Amino acid sequence: MIDERIFETFREIGRDLYAADMISSHGGNLSIRLGDHVVIKRRGSMLGNLKPQDLVETRIDKNDSGVALASTELLVHRTIYQQTPALAIVHCHPRTAIAFSLSRDEIVPIDNEASYLLKKVPVVTEEFPSGTPQMAEKVAQALQNYKIIMLRGHGSFAIGQTLDEAFFWSSTLEESCQIALAVKLINEPFIEYRKNSEGYGKW
Amino acid sequence: MNGWSEKILDIDLTTGSIKTYPLDMEMARLYVGGRGLGTRLLWDLVGPQVDTLSPENVLIFTNGPLTGTGYQTSNRFSVSTKSPLTGTVLDANSGGFWGMQFKKAGYDVLIVRGKAEKPVYIEIKPEQVSLHDAMELWGMRVNALTQKLGQEKNHRNVLCIGPAGENLSRIAAIMNDGQRALARGGPGAVMGSKNLKAIVIEGKEKTGIADQEKYKFLVYETRKMLAANPLTSQALPEFGTVVMMNLVNNIGALSTRNFLHNQFEGAEDISGETLTEKYLVKNDACWACPIRCTRISKTDKVKGEGPEFQTTWAFGAQCGIADLAAIIEANCLANDLGFDTISAGNTIGCAMELSEKRFIDSDLRFGRGDLLARTLEDMAYRRDLGADMAEGSLRLATKYGAPELSMTVKGLEMPAYDPRGMQGQGLLLATSNRGACHMRGNMLGLEVLGLPKMIDRFQVQGKSSYVILNQNSSAAIDSLVLCKFTSMAVADEYFARVLSAVTGIKYATGDLIRVGERIWNLERLYNLREGFTNKEDTLPLRLLNEPAPDGATRGWVVHLEPMLKEYYRARGWNELGIPTAQKLVELELDGMQTGEKENQR
Repeated sequence: MIDERIFETFREIGRDLYAADMISSHGGNLSIRLGDHVVIKRRGSMLGNLKPQDLVETRIDKNDSGVALASTELLVHRTIYQQTPALAIVHCHPRTAIAFSLSRDEIVPIDNEASYLLKKVPVVTEEFPSGTPQMAEKVAQALQNYKIIMLRGHGSFAIGQTLDEAFFWSSTLEESCQIALAVKLINEPFIEYRKNSEGYGKW
Repeated sequence: MNGWSEKILDIDLTTGSIKTYPLDMEMARLYVGGRGLGTRLLWDLVGPQVDTLSPENVLIFTNGPLTGTGYQTSNRFSVSTKSPLTGTVLDANSGGFWGMQFKKAGYDVLIVRGKAEKPVYIEIKPEQVSLHDAMELWGMRVNALTQKLGQEKNHRNVLCIGPAGENLSRIAAIMNDGQRALARGGPGAVMGSKNLKAIVIEGKEKTGIADQEKYKFLVYETRKMLAANPLTSQALPEFGTVVMMNLVNNIGALSTRNFLHNQFEGAEDISGETLTEKYLVKNDACWACPIRCTRISKTDKVKGEGPEFQTTWAFGAQCGIADLAAIIEANCLANDLGFDTISAGNTIGCAMELSEKRFIDSDLRFGRGDLLARTLEDMAYRRDLGADMAEGSLRLATKYGAPELSMTVKGLEMPAYDPRGMQGQGLLLATSNRGACHMRGNMLGLEVLGLPKMIDRFQVQGKSSYVILNQNSSAAIDSLVLCKFTSMAVADEYFARVLSAVTGIKYATGDLIRVGERIWNLERLYNLREGFTNKEDTLPLRLLNEPAPDGATRGWVVHLEPMLKEYYRARGWNELGIPTAQKLVELELDGMQTGEKENQR
C-alpha cells in the first residue's frame, strides 16, 4: 500500500508538468526510490490526472508482479537507481529543450539562473526507444556526472533526492532554453556578464 | 601525488619510536581520507580483544585530500579509535586550524600507539617530530595549556586533553586550540590512558592540486552557492548554529528535560536571536570558511567561543535551564575541563531525572542552572556523584537501577532532536554506527529546513532511502574532510568534482557516495566483530512507547520497526542487519570478517 503522502506528491508534480506544457497527455514519467523498491507511474496512465491506482510499486533489482503494470520506461528508471545516488526521477518532454537537442551535443545555458544551477546539460543519442537496455544504459551513464541530461529528440531525465528537486532541474532547463530561443530571435550581440564563463562548458 | 601527502607518521609511546612510511594509495582511493581512512586502519589495528583504555587501543588522526587546499571549509580532520564510551568504532572530527597544519606538516595520517611511562606531549615540526616530557603540564586545564604551548597567529596549533581526559572520563574530548573539540565517544579518555597530554603542530607544505583551472572554477561556483543560500549566508553567520533552537522547538522536536517533553517553554531565552542580542561579542571562522558561524560570547564571568546549538540544548532544554548566561559559562568550563558538551549536558539531564525520581540522592533538579559548574567540576575530577557521571549516562542510570532513563543509542548520548517529530531522524539515530549521532547524516535538512527540498517529517514509508543516502554522503564528506554546513548549500556533485580536480582521479557523484557506503558498511562490520547485533539498532524506550506530549508532534512515537526492516533490505543487509556477501563484493569489502556466527547466537 503506497502512503497517501507519496501519491499526493506524484499527483501534484504530474499535474504541474502537464500544466507547464512539458508533457503530452500520456507522456513523461515519474518515479521515486523506496528502499529497495521503486514507485513508478502505471503504463498508459496520464501524469496530468493521476489516480491512486496509477502508481505501481516493484523491486529495483528484480522483477515481481508489479512489472506487468509498470511503465515501459521502468528499465531506465531501475538502471538509473542502480548506477546513481538518485532517489527520484522526472522524465518529461520539454519542447524548447528538445528542439535545441536536435542541433547540439550539449546545452550550455546563457541565463544566470540555469548557469548557476545546471552549468551544462549533455545531450545523448540513442535511437532505440524507451524500455530498451541500450537506452537505459546510456541515460544512466550520463546521469552519473550530471543531474539532468537530454535524450536527443526525446526529452529530459532529471534526478534528485525528491520529485520536487528533479522537477526543479527540468523546469529550469526548459526556461533556460526558452530564454536562449528568445535571444536567438532578438538576434543582437550577446553581452557576456559571467566571470569565468568558459568554466560552464567544461563542467 | 596531488591531494594526498602519501605519508603516515607512526608513534609508539611505549617504546618512543617514531616512524614514517608510505600511505597505501589503493587504500586512499577506496577510503579517500579522514573517517574512511581512519576506519580502514582501525579495522587492522584494533580488534575485539582490545580494551579501549589499554595501550593496545590506538588514536588515528587523519586529514583528507581536500584538507589544506583552501576549498571552502577544507580545514577539518578526524580521529579514529575504539570508543571507551560505547565500544563501537569511533571517529570524531573538528575544524579550526589544526587539520590544515597537519596537512601542511606533510602527513595524511598520524597513528599513536602504546602508553608513555610518564606524561608526554608530541611536537610535530616540518623538520622534526619529537616527544617531550609533560609532567609539569599534567593537571593543567585546556586554555592555559593551549596558550602555553601553542598559537603564534595560528602557525602553531594544539590538541590536548584537560582534567576530564586525564581522569579517564568516558565522555572526555580531545580539545582543539582550546575551544573546539574532537568530542563524541570519549577520545579524550583514550589520549589520557596513553599519558599523552598534547600534540603541537606546525606545517609549511602546500597541498598539490592536479587541475588548477577546474579547481578555481569550482571554488568560484561554490562561493556563489554559499552566498545565495540564506542558511549559510545569513542565518548561520548572524545567529550561529543556535539558529536551530527556535526552528526545531517550533515544530515540537526539541527534546526537553531528558526527553520527557518535546518542546521547551524557555527556547526563546536560549535561542540564537537572544545569544546575538545579549551575549555576542563577534563572530569568527575556521580556516578557509566564508560561513563564519563561530560565536565569541561574553557574560559577566567568562568570554569564549560558542556555544553551539547542541551544547546550548544539552545544558539548556535537556536540563530544563533557560538561563543563557549559565549555559555560556557551562560551555566555557566544559571546554576548559575537556568534555564532550553533548554527552556532559545529556548526562546531567539524566542525573536530574534520576534525582527527581529518587533513584539517586542529590540536589540536582531540572532548571538548576546554578549547579551546572559544580557538577562539571565534580565530573572532571570524579568527585562524589560526579565519579559515576563521568562514565556517561548509560553507566550512571544502569548503576542506579533505571537504565531506561538514559537517553542513549549504543551508549552514546542523544543530540537535541526529538525523533518523535522527525521520523527519519529516528531511523538515522538508531542505525548510526557510533551511537546516537546527528553528524552521521542528518535529516534536519530534508525534514525541517527543506534542503534540498522538504519532505514530510512524519512519513514512515520510504524514509530509509533518504536516511541511507544521507549516511553515505555524510561518511564521504567526513573523508574529504569538509564541514557539514557546506553540504547544506552545496550538492555532493560539487564535492565529487573538487575531489577529481584536486587528486586527478575521476570520481563521479555516485563514486563518492559509494565511498561513503563502503565506509558505512565497514563500520558496521567493525561493530559486528565487536559483538554488536541488530538489537542495538534501537532508540530509548521512551521515544518508542511514550507519545510526544507537546505541540505539532503531540501524539507521535517513533515508528522504528517498519523503517528498520525497509532500511536493512535497502542496505543490502539480511534481516539481522548483516551485510550480505553480495553487498560486500559490490563494495570491494569481500574477505572482511562478518562476525555472522556470533550475531546469530
